[in-house]
Order: sequence, then structure tokens, then C-alpha cells
Amino acid sequence: MGFLIGTGIVVRIVLLILIGFSVLSWTIIMFKFFQIYKANSDSERFMDFFWKSKRFDAIASQVDRFTGSPLTVLFNEGYGELGKFVEGSGKADTSILSTDLGGIENVSRALRRATNSEITRLEKYTTFLATTGSTSPFIGLFGTVWGIMTAFEGIGKTGSASLSVVAPGIAEALIATAIGLVAAIPAVMAYNHFQHKIRVLIKDMDSFSTEFLNIVQRNVAGK
Amino acid sequence: MGVSFIISTVIHLAVFLLLLWWGQLFPPTMAVQETYYVDVVNLPVANPRAGSPTQKGDNAEAPPPPAPESTLSMPSPQRPNAKGRAATTEKDEKSETSSDAAFAERMAKLENKAASQQEEAALEQLRKRLRTTGSGKAGMPAGRGSEAGSDYTSYIQSRLKDALNQTNDYDSNNPMVYVHLYIGTDGKVIRQKIEQSTGDKRFELAVQRAIEMAGDKLVPPPSHKVFEGKFRFRPKEVSRSKP
Repeated sequence: MGFLIGTGIVVRIVLLILIGFSVLSWTIIMFKFFQIYKANSDSERFMDFFWKSKRFDAIASQVDRFTGSPLTVLFNEGYGELGKFVEGSGKADTSILSTDLGGIENVSRALRRATNSEITRLEKYTTFLATTGSTSPFIGLFGTVWGIMTAFEGIGKTGSASLSVVAPGIAEALIATAIGLVAAIPAVMAYNHFQHKIRVLIKDMDSFSTEFLNIVQRNVAGK
Repeated sequence: MGVSFIISTVIHLAVFLLLLWWGQLFPPTMAVQETYYVDVVNLPVANPRAGSPTQKGDNAEAPPPPAPESTLSMPSPQRPNAKGRAATTEKDEKSETSSDAAFAERMAKLENKAASQQEEAALEQLRKRLRTTGSGKAGMPAGRGSEAGSDYTSYIQSRLKDALNQTNDYDSNNPMVYVHLYIGTDGKVIRQKIEQSTGDKRFELAVQRAIEMAGDKLVPPPSHKVFEGKFRFRPKEVSRSKP
């Protein structure tokens, strides 16, 4: 680590930026990891509970137990829209639905809106990971190029081109590229992993929306 | 998010401290490569000859002279005498037998003497070789007398020149600094004194840094005596200076 002391001001600034990128990207990695892990586990538990329950009002009263799941948000939105529709029809019992299909369209739109907002919430901050993954190596490379330039200036001044003179300067410069890669590699890996997990959750949300609409429509058709 | 940020910062600090600790535990292997200087002129040779460069510096003695040729006095054979031949046959035979035994005895003595002289000379040569063998590694300037690498001043000069190439920095056109160096018996620079300078402070600082850098890895002076020498530093040159 002693060779960090001999680096120039530009290389030091580059190193600080890269360390900042690394700190922030690891913050996001940990935050998203727990968020997505909770979303997955709560969704599984919620789906079990959903299929075991007979009534929407019973589910609505227990939905607070699964706060991490995006499906609960979809359910709340759909159930809320359904309630508004029932209230608008002048019927207090939510189990009795109107045959007016316009109500189902409203529920479908509410579910789509909730899905979009949940996708936005899940994908929040992941763009920073992509940015870190794509730019950190270049920032590091810039630091290296600058460091080598200054090292060669020093070599020209001393007038010696022996390996013992050239090598330390280049090693100091290369540390910037190394830290750039250290920041970028976990960011890229985490970004790809989170994108996969988010895609799975989006499919779960789509499936749940379809199932929810099916249930509603079946009840409408049954009445 | 706040908790994640704190955890992330702590992890980065931990990694940084770990690297610091690792660097102290295992220093980087980019150390300046040791350069060994062999004093070719004063290299000891096994059999110095007249006119060779080692004539002055090498104290090796010439190989021992061959064993002195002893003048063997062989009994001159008597000329055969026809007259007294028969009478003296017995006498001759007796005296011949006794002279042969004496001759063999003397020959044996002389051979033993020559062998012991050669043995003594060989032993003396071995003792001489043992005396002149230094305690340092091969090629290192730990030799004594006429041994390879005995020129400690040249060694110090070259180390200082290598170090100055790395620390070189100056403001004026032709800076020059004379430094008096004292190197202790353990190879550490115990004292350095700038005796004369053109006044370029940056160059003086570069010289001091070069001495510090070179002083880290010096081998002890020969014969375990404090080395004292005066050197002249110029931007691309370090030379000995006469006191």
C-alpha cells in the first residue's frame, strides 16, 4: 500500500471516485439483495395464504403480514378498485358483483398500474450498478494513463530507464485500473443477478393479476 | 438504505485495513534488484605469474620449489683388475653388498625427506587459501585484502548512484554536493554530513533521500570497521572525492 503515497493528485482523485463508486454500489447491492429476498419470500407465503383463503376480505385483513411482497400491493389495488366498483353499484357485499364488465376493466387497469409502480420500485437504484459496471474501468484507465504519463515525465527527468526506475511508477498507475475493476466486477454481477430476480417477480405479478381477474370474472359470470 | 451504507463503508474500511496489514506483513517484492560488483582486476588466481595484474594485490606465494636435488654419491665401481680379480672377488662381493644396503638406506631417507617437503608445501598452500577466503557471499563485497569485491568504496558509490537515479530532483543547472559518509559496522549509515554544496536545496534533499534509500541495504564494511568516505554528487553522477 506504500505506493499509494507516491501517486499524483489526479490519480488520487480518480481513486477516491472509484472508492466512492464501490461504497455506493455495495450499499445498493446489499439493499437490493435484502429487498428482493424479502419480496420473494413474502410473495411465496402470500400466494400460499391467498389460495387457502376463501374470501377477499379475509385476505385483505391479513395482508399486512406480507409487506415485502409486491403481490400484496397488487391485491390491495385490485381489491380497492373492486370495493369502489361495488360501492358505486350500491351493494355493500363484495361477494356480489355486478355483471357490468366495465368494473372488471377498472380492476385490470388498477392491477396494471400497481404492477408498473412495483417494477419501478424494484428496479430503483439498479441503474447505478449498471453505470458503475460500465464506467469504473474507464475511470480507472484514465487514472492509469495519467499516472503513466507523469511517471514517464519523472523518468525523463532522472535520465535513467532501468526497470527499477520505470516499474514503480507504472505500478502506481496501474492501481487505478485495478480499483476500477474491483468496483465494476461486483456491480455488473449484482446487476445481472437482480435483473433476473426482478424479471421473475414481474412474471409472478403478471400471473397474479391474471388469476385475480379470473377470480373476479368467475364470480361475475357465476352471479 | 442507511444501514446498508454503513455496512458497506465498514466493509471497505476493513478491506483497506486488511490490505495495509497485508502490505506490512508481506512487503512488496518490487525491491531494487541487488547488483553485485566483482573486482576483476584483483580477482585472486590460483597460480599468479609474473606480469599478471594480481602481482601487486595477490599475496599468494609461488608454488613451493621442488625438493632439492641431493647429490647422491654413488660408489664408483671399481675397474676390473685382471690380476687381483680372483683374490678380491670375495672381498668385493662383501663390500658390494654393504654399499648396496647403504645406498638403498640413503635413497629411502632422501625420498622420505622430499615427500615430507612436498606435503608441507601443500599444507602451507591450503592454509594460505583458508586465510584469504572471506566470510561474505560469493560476489558480495565482503572480501578482504586482494579478494574479489574488496573495494567497498566502489560498492557504496554504485549503490548511491542507483539510489540517486530514483530520487534525482534539482532546480539549478549544475548542482553539486559533497557528502561525508560514515557507515557503521552493521552496514547502516551512522552519519552523513554535507560538506560543500552549490546551494540547490532540492538537490540536497534528493541526495539525502538517495543516501537513506541506499543505506537500507548496504552490506557491512570489510573487517568490521567503520567506513568513512567522501562522495561528490551531481545529477547523474556520484564520484569519490579525495579527502
